[in-house]
Amino acid sequence: MTSTSEVTATHEDKQLETREGVVHLLRGGAGQPVLYLHGIGAAPGYWNAVHDRLSKTFDVIAPDHPGFGFSDVMDDLDHIDDLVYHYLDLLDRLGLQQGVHLVGVSFGGWLAAELAVHSPERFASLVLAAPFGIRIPGHLPTDFFLMTAKQQGQALFHDPAKIPPADPADAVGAFQMYKNLTGVARFGWVPFLSDPKLERRLYRVKARTLVIAAEHDAVVPSEITERYAASISDAKQHTLGGTGHALDAEVPEAFAEAVTKFVSTGEEA
Amino acid sequence: MKFVFFHLMPYPYLPDDFDEKYTSMSLTYPNSHFDPEKGHELYHRYLDQLEWAEELGFDGIAVNEHHQTSYGIMPSPNIMAATLARRTSRAQIMVLGNAIPIRDNPIRVAEEIAMLDHLASGRLACGFVRGIGWEYFAQSINPTRSAERFFEAHDLILKSWTETEPFEWVTRNYEYRYVNIWPRPLQKPYPPIYMAGSGTPDTMRWAAKHHHVYMSVIAPTQSIKGWFNGYRKAAREEFGWEPGPDRFGWVTPTYVGETDKKAIEEARGPIEWYFHKSLKQPPGAGNPPGYVPLDSMKAALSRGVRRIPTDNMPIEELIEGGYILVGSAETVAERIMELGTELGFGTLGVNLAVGSIAENQAKENIEAFAKEVMPKVRGTVRGDDPPNPPSARPMAKTAIVSDARKGGEPRTPS
Repeated sequence: MTSTSEVTATHEDKQLETREGVVHLLRGGAGQPVLYLHGIGAAPGYWNAVHDRLSKTFDVIAPDHPGFGFSDVMDDLDHIDDLVYHYLDLLDRLGLQQGVHLVGVSFGGWLAAELAVHSPERFASLVLAAPFGIRIPGHLPTDFFLMTAKQQGQALFHDPAKIPPADPADAVGAFQMYKNLTGVARFGWVPFLSDPKLERRLYRVKARTLVIAAEHDAVVPSEITERYAASISDAKQHTLGGTGHALDAEVPEAFAEAVTKFVSTGEEA
Repeated sequence: MKFVFFHLMPYPYLPDDFDEKYTSMSLTYPNSHFDPEKGHELYHRYLDQLEWAEELGFDGIAVNEHHQTSYGIMPSPNIMAATLARRTSRAQIMVLGNAIPIRDNPIRVAEEIAMLDHLASGRLACGFVRGIGWEYFAQSINPTRSAERFFEAHDLILKSWTETEPFEWVTRNYEYRYVNIWPRPLQKPYPPIYMAGSGTPDTMRWAAKHHHVYMSVIAPTQSIKGWFNGYRKAAREEFGWEPGPDRFGWVTPTYVGETDKKAIEEARGPIEWYFHKSLKQPPGAGNPPGYVPLDSMKAALSRGVRRIPTDNMPIEELIEGGYILVGSAETVAERIMELGTELGFGTLGVNLAVGSIAENQAKENIEAFAKEVMPKVRGTVRGDDPPNPPSARPMAKTAIVSDARKGGEPRTPS
């Protein structure tokens, strides 16, 4: 869970009261709406280089999931389905009934796939980047819960030089990291980062879909991204080179470029 | 002072290259390193020690639960307690405790404890613990629900022992349409309840609310003092009662030698094995996400609370910090009286068969503690242990099993 390089574009920073608690939401740019669902790489809660780049073309809506970043823990929300309904409500609230582009990274990729399965008619396109979510016995994601913070950095990034330095005096940063990991655990401890029923429901996805694999992903096995691509009709596949699982933090420009191209044109990068 | 012989039942035979090859002896340390012949010998050695402790005059003998580890080979403490129940007749049999949040079925725990109370003729003490970090990996239980499941399983178990009509229990954690356990426990309303605590304010308050005995985990004296005082403050100010020493227990590795110097030298190997090797958790497993509630974590981080690592601490510093009791019988007895007064605990759990201690050395240590330390301390600190809540039931019917434990024929039911 890391923050990315400096960004320049202006964006709104909102606290939205919802039925279950406060959602922290960042929004910037203009154009077609992109709901950007974060993962475990770039830290949720901060406007980052990917948001910045996408906002040059799209209306980027980047909320922190319940229990992550600066959103409240919403105690009743403890299953991936709860997050699906949470986001359907949020889109309703924002008046985005149709034509939304979904971009999900890592944990957010799983969530994006669930949303597109639940309400296929609402989404114009779907980008799943290094997504969790499909359960393949023998090919579970790497157990990053069973790692030190240092090992987690090494597992998330391909280039060790890109791992953000840890500041032991930063109590807020340490707490955010614990909160974010707790968020992932709340929804993904068991079944491990997956919904066993998701794979056989993927036929429902109508949106044109791009599955992005990170070339050196040490967290999500390639079997999972391949299975997504095989299960969603006409899904395109793209491998982003030179990056580990945290592609949004490690190669934000290249990642944003691939997303921009696909969402705009339907072409893979 | 109530003396409890506390056992972890470690599997002490590590390969020579253990330190180079493994970060921990828990969760992922391959069980190819468990030699069934040695394991079999250990179970019987350790159970013999527990039975012998009763003969030597210990008031309680304690077992506990750990999974997938050579730190302690008691995945089921209730099975251990069952073997002791029929082979002892006087000592309290203390299960310290069942790790209720990592069990899928708390009703099974309620049933087993109730059975054990009968087998032990009302000598059972029932501890509840959260389970250690790696055990949430080992048992596939979501650590973000740990605290919630702990409190809820406790409430459900106690209700199952006291409710006399079938009832329903439906929450997000458990769903039972029929709770109606047979047998009910022998002690009324149920065996005394022990909690293991590591200073989490919520747990302290909660233990004080229920009048449960609060047993500290291994920690420096100053920390434990703060925890016990937190319990007292909550009891006094929020719940209107004054806890005596019988509500507090201190558990610690203990070694008694001829002199302080000899004790330190003899204990160095086993004690340092315990702290430097066996307490080490796999990377990241010490505190799985959500195991510590977010509010508590935030408070701890903002206060800059850091647990002092003990995994390289030499025995001298462990003694100094109050983590362990080591010395001559005089030194150990004085220290117990001193700490008993300072901390106000009435139950002392001594881990005498500690770490990698050799069989004979453990025997000498147990005997030295019982014969040379206990008499010096007896009567100096009040530590009675009334069942909870108080009950008039004496340690009854113990004669039933006295023949069996001597190795004679089991008593024929008359």
